[in-house]
Amino acid sequence: MADIGDKYNTKCPGVKRLMREALELAEATEEYCARPIEDNLFEWHFTVRGPPGTDFDGGIYHGRILLPKEYPMHPPHIILLTPNGRFEVNKKICLSISGYHPETWQPSWSIRTALLALIAFMPTPAEGTIGSLDYTPAERKALAKKSVSWTCSECGDIALLLSSNAAKPVTEEEKSVLDQIAFKGEEEQATKPPEPEPTYEPEPQVLESVDTSTTVLDQVLEIIVALLLGAIAIFIYRRWNAYAQVDTEL
Amino acid sequence: MADDASSSSACTGNLVDNSINQDELIMKQQREIEKEISESIPLVGDLEELASLEKEYNEDPVYLLKIKDLASKYKCIRRTRPDGNCFFRAFSYAYLEHLLNDKDEYEKFHEIAKNSKDILVALGFPQFTVEDFYETFMEVVQRVGEQAGGSPEAIEGVRTELHEKFNKQGYSDYIVVYLRLITSGQLQTQHDFYQNFIEGPRTVTEFCRQEVEPMYKESDHIHIIALSNALNVGVRVKYMDRGEGSQVIAHDFPEGSKAIVHLLYRPGHYDILYA
Repeated sequence: MADIGDKYNTKCPGVKRLMREALELAEATEEYCARPIEDNLFEWHFTVRGPPGTDFDGGIYHGRILLPKEYPMHPPHIILLTPNGRFEVNKKICLSISGYHPETWQPSWSIRTALLALIAFMPTPAEGTIGSLDYTPAERKALAKKSVSWTCSECGDIALLLSSNAAKPVTEEEKSVLDQIAFKGEEEQATKPPEPEPTYEPEPQVLESVDTSTTVLDQVLEIIVALLLGAIAIFIYRRWNAYAQVDTEL
Repeated sequence: MADDASSSSACTGNLVDNSINQDELIMKQQREIEKEISESIPLVGDLEELASLEKEYNEDPVYLLKIKDLASKYKCIRRTRPDGNCFFRAFSYAYLEHLLNDKDEYEKFHEIAKNSKDILVALGFPQFTVEDFYETFMEVVQRVGEQAGGSPEAIEGVRTELHEKFNKQGYSDYIVVYLRLITSGQLQTQHDFYQNFIEGPRTVTEFCRQEVEPMYKESDHIHIIALSNALNVGVRVKYMDRGEGSQVIAHDFPEGSKAIVHLLYRPGHYDILYA
C-alpha cells in the first residue's frame, strides 16, 4: 500500500476513500475478495463465489473493476472475465437502482456493495438486457464447474484467491439495497428502449422491467416535440410567404 | 442539467437501430451541451453585484422589474454551478460563511453536525462510507470553527480557504454528499410527516434512494424543508420567475424561522444572495 500512497494525492477525498476500501477488502472472504492491481488504485481485480443453491453454485468468477476518476460520485464499472453464462465477458457493466436511470448510483455505496449486488444479481433472469446472457441451467452449471480452474494473468489461479473466512454479515438495510440494484451493459445507459417491453414477471422484484410511466411520458414528449416542430415549420412558411408578398408589393 | 456525466458514455451501435429515434439523439446532444456549459461555470463563483443579473435579461421587462425589487433587499449574488447539486452547495457555502462571524451559531451547528453521523448509522446507512463523508465534512466545518468570531484577517484567511475547498470537486462534492445524507436521514426519521409531500406511490425510503441520495438530483421544497429542519437553520428562498407581478416572492424554511441563508431561485437553479 505504501507505494500507492506515494503515487496519489492522499488529500484528495476520492483517493482516500479508495485506499480505505482497499484496506477494508484486503482480507479475502469466502464470498468475495478484491484488490487494486499492482499500483493502480483505479483498477481492481475481484473474485466472487457463485451463490449457493443456484446454477452458479460451486463456480468462482473473476473480473475487473474500473473506477472512474470521479469515484465515488460516479459508479464503478465491472467487467467479468470468467465465462459464466449470465454476463458477457470483457464487457463493461454498471449498477444502478433497477428500473431507474443509471444516475441513481449512490456515493454511500462501495465496492463491497457492488460485489454483493453482483452475486445477488447473478441468478436473476437476463431478459435480453445488454451485456446479459441467457444460457440454459445446464450450460451455466457446466461453466461453474469449469470456472474453478480458470486463471488470471495478473492474479493466477482464481480458486486460491477466496478464503474460508466468513464475510462481514449483510445488514437488514444493506439487504434491502442489494435487492434493488440491477446491472446493465454500457450502451443501454445512453438510450432507453423505445417501446415498453411487456413484463413477464408477476413478482414485485422485477429486476429488469421497464418503467412504463417513463416510456408513456417519452411518447407524450415525442408528440409534443413533433407538434412544436410542425408549428415552427408553419410559422417559417407563413413568414416567408409574408416576405414574398411584401416583395411583390414593392 | 441533473444529468450524470456518465450518461455521456458512448452509445455506439445506436445508429444501426432505427427504433432509436431522432428525438432521443437530439435530447442526448442537448444534455451534453448543457453539461459542457455547466462545467464552464465554477462550482461556486465570486461575489458579484446584483445588477449583473440584468445582463442576463436585458430585454425582458418582467425579469428586469423583479431584479429591481430584489435589489431593494439584496446587494450581491454568488452564482453556483447548475449541476443539480446547486441547492446543497449554495446552502452549505452560505451557511459556513455565515458561521465565520457567528460563534454561537457555530457551536450550535457543531453539536448537531457531530451527532449526525450516529443518527445516520442508526438508520442503517453503511458506517464505512458514512464515516468517510463525515470526516471530510467535519474537517471543513472545524476549519471554520477555529477562526469563527476571530480577527478580520483570520476570518478572511479561512474564507479564502473555504472558497478554494468549495471549488475543488473532491471536497465540494463530499460536502454535498454529506448534506444529502443528512437530508435523507431527516426524511426517514420523520417519515410519517414527509410522506405527505411525496406524490405517487413511492415510500419515503424509495424517494430518498432515488431523489435525495444520488448526486446531481435537483432539490425541491421537500429537500429544503428536511435539511433546514435537520440542522435547525433558517433558509429564505426568493423565487424569481416569469409569474405575474413585480415582486419576488420569498419563502422561509422552516416556516416562521429567522433566515440565515438567503438563496435566489430561478426555475431549476439556486444561487446565493447577500444583503
